[in-house]
Amino acid sequence: MSACGVAIRKNRYFDSVFLMAVARRLSDQPGIEDAAAVMGSPANKEILARMGVAEKDLEEAGPNDLVVALQGESEAVRELTESIEEWLVRPKGELAGTTAISFDDALSRQTDSNLAVISVPGEYAAREADTALDRGMNVFLFSDHVAAEDEVALKRKALDAGLIVMGPDCGTAIIGGVGIGFANAVRSGSVGAVSASGTGLQEFTCLVHRAGSGISHAFGTGTRDLADPVGGLSTLTAVAALEEDPATSVIAVISKPPGKTTLRRIVERLNSCRKPVAACFLGLAPDSKPDGARFEICSTLDDLAAASLRLAGGGSGGGPSLSADQLAVLATAEVDRMAAGQRFVRGLFAGGTFCYQSQQVMRESGIIAYSNAPLPGMRVLRDPHRSVENTLLDMGADEFTVATPHPMIDAHQRCNRIRAEARDADVAVLLLDIILGYNASSDPAGDLVEALVEAKRSAEQGGRHLSVAASVCGTDRDPQQLEKQEQILREIGAIVFATSTQASSFARDILLRRMEVPS
Amino acid sequence: MATLRTLMDDGPIAINLGIREFAESIRAQDRKAVHVDWSPPPPVDEETRSLLDELL
Repeated sequence: MSACGVAIRKNRYFDSVFLMAVARRLSDQPGIEDAAAVMGSPANKEILARMGVAEKDLEEAGPNDLVVALQGESEAVRELTESIEEWLVRPKGELAGTTAISFDDALSRQTDSNLAVISVPGEYAAREADTALDRGMNVFLFSDHVAAEDEVALKRKALDAGLIVMGPDCGTAIIGGVGIGFANAVRSGSVGAVSASGTGLQEFTCLVHRAGSGISHAFGTGTRDLADPVGGLSTLTAVAALEEDPATSVIAVISKPPGKTTLRRIVERLNSCRKPVAACFLGLAPDSKPDGARFEICSTLDDLAAASLRLAGGGSGGGPSLSADQLAVLATAEVDRMAAGQRFVRGLFAGGTFCYQSQQVMRESGIIAYSNAPLPGMRVLRDPHRSVENTLLDMGADEFTVATPHPMIDAHQRCNRIRAEARDADVAVLLLDIILGYNASSDPAGDLVEALVEAKRSAEQGGRHLSVAASVCGTDRDPQQLEKQEQILREIGAIVFATSTQASSFARDILLRRMEVPS
Repeated sequence: MATLRTLMDDGPIAINLGIREFAESIRAQDRKAVHVDWSPPPPVDEETRSLLDELL
């Protein structure tokens, strides 16, 4: 019989990544069906209640208390609940001796500190960022759920002090060759970048590296920086810094569609920049393209990388690319093996930007898709856990990542979704991104292998050929190694593309061919 | 006191609050990072909070 066990530890704080790893290890134990390890915030308690934990068992837990909840066979649940302390011990890492008890303690140990990297829960993040600014430090603010008015106040304060706030909700940056957060290992060079889109910046920096060039500095600004309430404060600061930076010869700007007022402001600033500029406002509707821009505006990250390299006087490509004809040949070969009813794409993305870019590729060919993060012209996917017709899913969005690891760290949810999509006889192609770099899974392609093999096999058993199109965002210098990851995917029959745009274009070509076939 | 310029010139010298792996990955790139053993502040009512803010 299934039982539920709860262990509460008062005033014990652990970061979310550690707790998710604990929950993952616990749920893998024999006799355990489900496990959660979270801080006892009201939002987390709601999630636990939905998991079936009785409210009375959670009454004692407050936001500063750790809650571990287990479901499964009663004996296994009892044993693990009693031995929970053993599961909360961190492995001895490299950080021994470098842990401080407070911000000021850290600063006294390292007086030349110049950057605060903050990933505490959103409700506390603005306060910590404010402290860092008060101590004269720049801020990389990974935390999300920070109020817009706090973001504006922090960014204005930074501006007055000659500092920058990257974030909130900033996933990546490369400063002086050093990757912060989810960054890739790339060569140093003369291309500077500013981005309000995390995976967009990762893909761009990888493409520049793979073309033989390199990055001077790449600033993340946070997803909301170019929304009108924030007005591009950090983007403008970063552009000005790169304009003055002797190591930077060209500046690339990446964003999802900016607010209308902010777009005008950014265009005006970039028009007066003394260095060459290229920009990509992903997903911007064709009729909203800014008037009067005197810099290059590109519609994809691939084009942006190519334009930046050209402006920097280097190569002309962002990586080995396939021509439209080559893509068409590949798509035809796949379509020839498909059954009559197979006609839809299911894009399961770890990177929100890749989901956006894929929608843009489809939209340009008149293909309508459902998404939990729809571009204008696309349809809202009402239940993100159930795909409809063509579906392009951002699996890093909040609805998939509350109390569950981001798909860049843990593939569990994406594997389940791959298996589910493969059971749908209407699906022609699975579209995937695999993201390498610091702090991502140590083997992101390998994590998907079992699910992909099962998916292909189950389609085959149903008399179908399921095409798998994948792109790997990474470099040869990443800890996971680009070539090794690509090879893992090829070995299980996936078609691997150099860029996410190309993988999406291939999927689009399959759909266009399937539209011609009566089902 | 740092500035954005000194960050770009010297590279990151970091203080990390939150996800411990972020400090580890900076150290893996041969840069300095001190991790703060952060925990949420104890809950206080609004009146006490504003008094504390005034004092500090």
